[in-house]
Amino acid sequence: MTIKVFAAKKILTMNPANPVCTHVAVQDGLILGAGTLDEVAGWGEYELDETFTNLVIIPGFVEAHAHIMAAGILQLPYVGFFDRKLADGSTAPGIKSYPALIEKLKTEEAKLEDPTAPLVAAGFDPIYFPDEPRLTRAHLDQVSTTRAIYLHHASGHLATANTAMLERNGVTRDLQIEGLGRSADGDLDGELREPPAMGTCRDAMRIVHFANSTESALRDFGAMARNVGITTCTDLAGQSILVPKMLSMWKEVTAEEGYPLRIAQYNIPAIPGAQADFDAVAEQFLELQRKATEKLRFPGAKFVLDGSIQGFSALIKPPSYYRGVDHGQLLTVPDQFLDWLRPFHKRGLNVHMHCNGNLTQDLAIDTVEKVLREDPWLDHRHTITHAQLTTQAQLRKMAKLGLCANFFSNHLWYWGDQHYAVTVGPERANALEPCASAIREGVPFSVHSDAGVTPLGSLHTMWCAVNRLTPSGRVLGEIEKISPYEALKAVTINAAYQMHLDDEIGSIEAGKKADFAILKEDPLAVDPLHIKDIEVWGSVLIGRKHPAPWSK
Amino acid sequence: MIRYTVLGGYLGAGKTTLLNYILKHNDGIRFALLINDFGDINIDSALIESEDEQQINLANGCVCCNLSDGFFAALETLRTTVPPPQHIIVEASGVANVHNLGQYGLTRDLELAGIVVLADAETIQAKADDKYVAQTIRRQLIAADLIVLNKTDLVDEDKVADLASWIGTFNTCPVIATTKSKVPLPILLDMTANDHKELSDPSHAHYASWKYESEAACTDQDIHRFIDSLGEEVIRCKGLLKTETGSTEVQVVGTRHETTRRAIEIERSQLIAIGLAHDFSAARLDALAQQHLARAQNP
Repeated sequence: MTIKVFAAKKILTMNPANPVCTHVAVQDGLILGAGTLDEVAGWGEYELDETFTNLVIIPGFVEAHAHIMAAGILQLPYVGFFDRKLADGSTAPGIKSYPALIEKLKTEEAKLEDPTAPLVAAGFDPIYFPDEPRLTRAHLDQVSTTRAIYLHHASGHLATANTAMLERNGVTRDLQIEGLGRSADGDLDGELREPPAMGTCRDAMRIVHFANSTESALRDFGAMARNVGITTCTDLAGQSILVPKMLSMWKEVTAEEGYPLRIAQYNIPAIPGAQADFDAVAEQFLELQRKATEKLRFPGAKFVLDGSIQGFSALIKPPSYYRGVDHGQLLTVPDQFLDWLRPFHKRGLNVHMHCNGNLTQDLAIDTVEKVLREDPWLDHRHTITHAQLTTQAQLRKMAKLGLCANFFSNHLWYWGDQHYAVTVGPERANALEPCASAIREGVPFSVHSDAGVTPLGSLHTMWCAVNRLTPSGRVLGEIEKISPYEALKAVTINAAYQMHLDDEIGSIEAGKKADFAILKEDPLAVDPLHIKDIEVWGSVLIGRKHPAPWSK
Repeated sequence: MIRYTVLGGYLGAGKTTLLNYILKHNDGIRFALLINDFGDINIDSALIESEDEQQINLANGCVCCNLSDGFFAALETLRTTVPPPQHIIVEASGVANVHNLGQYGLTRDLELAGIVVLADAETIQAKADDKYVAQTIRRQLIAADLIVLNKTDLVDEDKVADLASWIGTFNTCPVIATTKSKVPLPILLDMTANDHKELSDPSHAHYASWKYESEAACTDQDIHRFIDSLGEEVIRCKGLLKTETGSTEVQVVGTRHETTRRAIEIERSQLIAIGLAHDFSAARLDALAQQHLARAQNP
């Protein structure tokens, strides 16, 4: 096949021996070499592609912690406060007032042909309407008194239903379940708090759950990643083990030539708390790995150990939470965790462990130490993902054990002020996502978005790790800032390393996949505060150009 | 209404043994088990009518569902089964928030029968101070309507008494001390005509029961006064009481009670209670019933 040479204003390779160049030669989706035009011309007759001559090529971003849910939830009409970029390149405008919300829902209602179909919309968050009375069913009844309507809030922990929705599901004031919002006289106001109460509107919950498993969600996931320059993205709570029927659809869609993303799926081995035969489950993972394709990989397993900090359900070491009530929720039985981890470790399966709190992180670290004593494996690259409150002592131990960290840097921006004032307090808020300490102690790390918890976008996760800013203008822990170069490493080669994919992707050098993110500016040369605002042209995946809709 | 029971307790407390005990001894109640994994459950293969990855159907109408599709989906499947089960028992994971799981029993078509938490007599105190699970274990004890202190044969008698009073610092609900997860089924499932047969089993010698019958009608207020006067000596109580407007069903499991008005008219009230023999007084219950439920007869 012919050789194609991409010319760029600048190429940042993340290959230390050849850090910056202008041309990269590609054949059959593989990089032949990067350098000057003269240098790469030596590979033979080539076709010069000048699409990027005014643009910057960097390795395709690798997002090591995201979920298909990022696209799933956008299958529902979006009614969030902030503008939201959609997969097709358009922007769903933020909803800034109750009248605007009601107007938007009326428009969506009119689109439904079946009069019995419920209207389920997502993304609303009452936190942005502090001056308004709480949203109730009375507001939603203004949209329709006959159409069942359900607003799934951004947090995932709340919903608001209209009267028709409550009636359709038999939710009456006599129900004693906790979490049903009530007015002073005990009447239901339509707010539903936490899953048991939210589940009372069963048909709405089914629609929310189903949104993630649709083919259009998978297509949008690819498009959303391409639009921000991500070429390899995890689905870090994959369902192929638990719901095998999903697998064939995923394989077919990702195999299409135009599908712009390589997905690394880390499956959940079992629902939290299950007592499955984990040797048998680990064998299923090996079987799944044998079915991997170019754009659908199964590098390992994901374990979930606790909840979230902002939900007060992460397990934090004493003295635990600064303010608020500790609802710490273990999602793994500590005395079982060794028995769960062992079958995967023993078979050479890479494991990513969700620990938002540093108490569960102790459990993860201690358990990895135990499996390593039983079965030495120097290159396991097991990863603690989120790892938000990692202590200095934990970093020292993680370095010795070969553990990686994947920090949730977007939290610094999205919840940094809340962590400072409420959840963990000033001292520990300044130490959140300790990227600089990880470099100093020698712990390989990446940074992530956990999309759809926060929006997909590696430039934004880089920006957070570099600037550590909060919306109120506070800098959380100046000492933990890292350079743009270290941040770029974190979202390219380091993220690939955590998944044992760094010999294939994560840098631009001979023999690796021709996966590029195409940017309008050099993220290492701009003002660090501007990194998140750099425009993205699109991506190149295995040598094929995938422009974002605005670049066509 | 489908009765709904949450079975909680940390790893090793005996939940699976109890489920196996229920499977073996159930007589006539069409129940559904929601369990994490089929692997540890002993089901007599002769009883299995059909099975797939999610569900095992037994010839006696009972089903076992696993949670591979998630808790919500499994509950939905059961709720819409024809005919629906009479009773759903959920085996909670060792670290589950049993209070939250109990909330599902308060949704449509379900009736929360109780949160039963098993505790391993040998390890419960150490686990309640464990680095990782202390809070989880304490929360489970606090949320229970009934606590089963299991494996008491592995500690000495004084220790059992100590543990019961230590549990009392978390929760004043009844505590049943037992071994091998043996708990009379009428306590966990429904109370049926065969309850006396069950309780006359010599292995249940330390239980006592009480029965009440009366033609007197009472009010819902009377019924609530009666229930409120019951102490922790009553582990389980069930009956249908005659009221001026029809009848009211009473269900008590530990500290949880449920009263439901029924449209049916009955000639006489019937009530049955089970307690632990050593602190159970039929005379006291007679007196309470006379005081609260039979006022119409004894003005």
